[in-house]
Amino acid sequence: MSLFAASGKPAWRYVQQENIVIAITAIVFLGFSVTLNNFLTTSNVLSLIQNVAILGILGLAMAQAIIGRGIDLSIVANMAVSVAATLQLANGGMPIALAIALGLALALVIGLINGMLIAYVEIPAIFATLAMGTAAYGFVRAALLNDNLIYLKAGGDGWFKWIGSGQIVGIPSSVVLFGIVAALMHVFLHHSLPGRFIYAMGDNPLAARTTGVPVRPTIVLQYVLSAGVAFLAGIVMATSVDSMETRIARSNLVYDVILVVVIGGIGLSGGKGKIRSVLVGTLLIGTLLNGMTIMDVQYTLQSIIKSLILLVAIIVDSLVNPRDEQTSQQGDI
Amino acid sequence: MTPAPLVEMRSVTKRYAGVAAVEDVDFSVRAGEVHALLGENGAGKSTLTKVLAGVTAPTSGEVLVDGTAVSFATPADALARGINMVFQENSLVPSMTVAQNLFLGDEKFFNRLRNLYIAAQQFLQSLNFNVDPWATVASLGVAKKQMVEIARAVRHNARLIVFDEPTASLTPEEKRHFFALVRRLTAKGVAIVFISHALEEALEISERITVLRDGRLIATGPTREFDRNRIVSAMVGRSLVNEGLDPRTRRSARAPGRKLLSVQNLSMGDAVRNTSFSVYAGQITGLFGLIGSGRTETAKIVAGIAKRNIFYGGEIRLEDRAVRYRIPRQAVRDGIVYVTEDRKVEGFFETMSIAENIAIGVLSARKRPPLIVSMADMAALAQEWTAKLSIKAISAEARVIELSGGNQQKVVIAKSLAQTPAVVIFDEPTRGVDVGAIAEIHQMINGLADQGLGVVVISSYLPEILSLSDRILVSQKGRIVEEFTPGNVTEEEIMFAAVH
Repeated sequence: MSLFAASGKPAWRYVQQENIVIAITAIVFLGFSVTLNNFLTTSNVLSLIQNVAILGILGLAMAQAIIGRGIDLSIVANMAVSVAATLQLANGGMPIALAIALGLALALVIGLINGMLIAYVEIPAIFATLAMGTAAYGFVRAALLNDNLIYLKAGGDGWFKWIGSGQIVGIPSSVVLFGIVAALMHVFLHHSLPGRFIYAMGDNPLAARTTGVPVRPTIVLQYVLSAGVAFLAGIVMATSVDSMETRIARSNLVYDVILVVVIGGIGLSGGKGKIRSVLVGTLLIGTLLNGMTIMDVQYTLQSIIKSLILLVAIIVDSLVNPRDEQTSQQGDI
Repeated sequence: MTPAPLVEMRSVTKRYAGVAAVEDVDFSVRAGEVHALLGENGAGKSTLTKVLAGVTAPTSGEVLVDGTAVSFATPADALARGINMVFQENSLVPSMTVAQNLFLGDEKFFNRLRNLYIAAQQFLQSLNFNVDPWATVASLGVAKKQMVEIARAVRHNARLIVFDEPTASLTPEEKRHFFALVRRLTAKGVAIVFISHALEEALEISERITVLRDGRLIATGPTREFDRNRIVSAMVGRSLVNEGLDPRTRRSARAPGRKLLSVQNLSMGDAVRNTSFSVYAGQITGLFGLIGSGRTETAKIVAGIAKRNIFYGGEIRLEDRAVRYRIPRQAVRDGIVYVTEDRKVEGFFETMSIAENIAIGVLSARKRPPLIVSMADMAALAQEWTAKLSIKAISAEARVIELSGGNQQKVVIAKSLAQTPAVVIFDEPTRGVDVGAIAEIHQMINGLADQGLGVVVISSYLPEILSLSDRILVSQKGRIVEEFTPGNVTEEEIMFAAVH
């Protein structure tokens, strides 16, 4: 008898969403290279990656939450208020390193509360983080910050400024940081103990619990980690534009982050996808945004094109990998 | 001349992921007859009837209704032709009332509740069913739920009703009512397909019998040509002895070792009521009980998956230490593991490889797990366990969802055994597992007891209980009611203890 479910299905049916996105990215990239004069230059390609590095770092934080069958909607609000607090403290005369430490602590506390609410109070992640994002923004803005827009004044020409606008052998430091965070996140998810547990919980939370995975501490770790990485993304953002606009918490940046994560093939039902998926998604969105900016496409039209790309990726995935009777019983989203 | 069959299936084959669940089976039902469909767990009975009821499409072969070929795309198509299925798993909406469930799917646009309940009341009375139409389905007992399902089938003017294990959880009194109902339905010309493990019932009520084994048709004919022995030999095909399923005799039963686990007056809501038992090292404790007998709940409390009552919840002692686990992780680290009856829902990680699945088990159980997981160690572990349990797969990287049921079950078992437990609780260890793998799993379970582990096997399959157990406990309505010694107990005695 046959022991393998794979029998009778040709190999090409196993094309993953990730590969489809790689193909789309390649086509878009080639298309822009041929049609746009200034597209395929070293400086433009570098600025392309630089523009999406922050989005990518946020995507990495979001990815590990989503792989564990969660989601962190407070990621942008958390980043905005904790980095704004850091800038304001530094502007008030505090040593920059201490200001960073306090800002990071604020971010981690918000992440910790997220994790506690989800793991121990058992509120669904989508509600807990939505509420926490709004609460953190409102509370920090009202209690700690003087203004919506906090400028980077102190420490603006030292190593701190370098984080967002420096270079290493010609490569923007934000791109280098994105690469380092991606590599670390890969090691974390695939080779570390908590990383393995996150995949197990995302795949089958009940089985993970029964097997003896420490489900609750791992959930808390996820949201603390998400907050920490978001803080880093915020520092990169603040030091590259010399300010932090807290009203970014009210923008739809968080949906772009989810777009980057989901488009590369990280399923919202958890357990699926890798760090490579985030890189691929980031690259596609970066290429598109850059090309459309060179072509001077209107912002509203850009939104439409982005959403269409997401829809196409999902539709093609569902056509190429149809759900059979057995997988459809899994109750996946 | 025999009347033309109402429904006829010609050389129907159904494959799931390349594995044939039903192969080349001819099957027919005439109006007004009861056709018993018998076979072991996993023989293909449920699959065959699912094809019949339009729940799944056959891979090949054809289904004829009134002599014309049909292909049902959905159960609704089958329903429209008067084919209805009463599922083993309840298909009622628990939060709705009986009346709402009865009329589910064909309510009028403006649905006056009063009329709905009056109609439901009249309809239930016409069937002689004593069910309150205002009651929510969740509040009903198993038997009454079944009555509602049957009523729904009758209301849809069903010409063919498939009963999948209808009597499994009924009391003898309820069974009498059920059989009376079946006779009334057949007198009206309704055809019945009766799937059951209870052979006496099948012999009593059916006109024809068909026996399946491993998805193939083994025997079919009028009931008078069958007796219990012929059915059993057709079902198992070989004598139990050759299968390694010889009942354990009193002599071959293992002596109890030291007491590993003692459970006293355990209670959890209505599911587990004041139950007490012990588990000894080096012995297999068989726990037999029907659905709703609290056997799974009891096991889950012991393994920390469910929580017993805070007050008057009873006591669990591991060796000499009183334990109360909040989460399974604590039980696992104390050496108590539970191998689930539903591997898909709470057993394996489907997107992960065999190696990754087993690694999660090992990493969860280790007192001091490494922070960075070595891929080589994981691969070595997987290799060790695939060899030990002879798990068959293309490679250790194959995802578990791609394996056959038997191999999936072995992965779940390997994941638990790799945690080096002292007490292993197997809940239905061979459900949905092919015959070859059953023998291997039984052998493995025996091996564990020989190594000195405390083993508990929960099963509703009597031959499994009889062949594996050194002690047999019977649970009923949330309590352990009887203990038997193998060798001087019959299947009937065990079943008797379980139903009364």
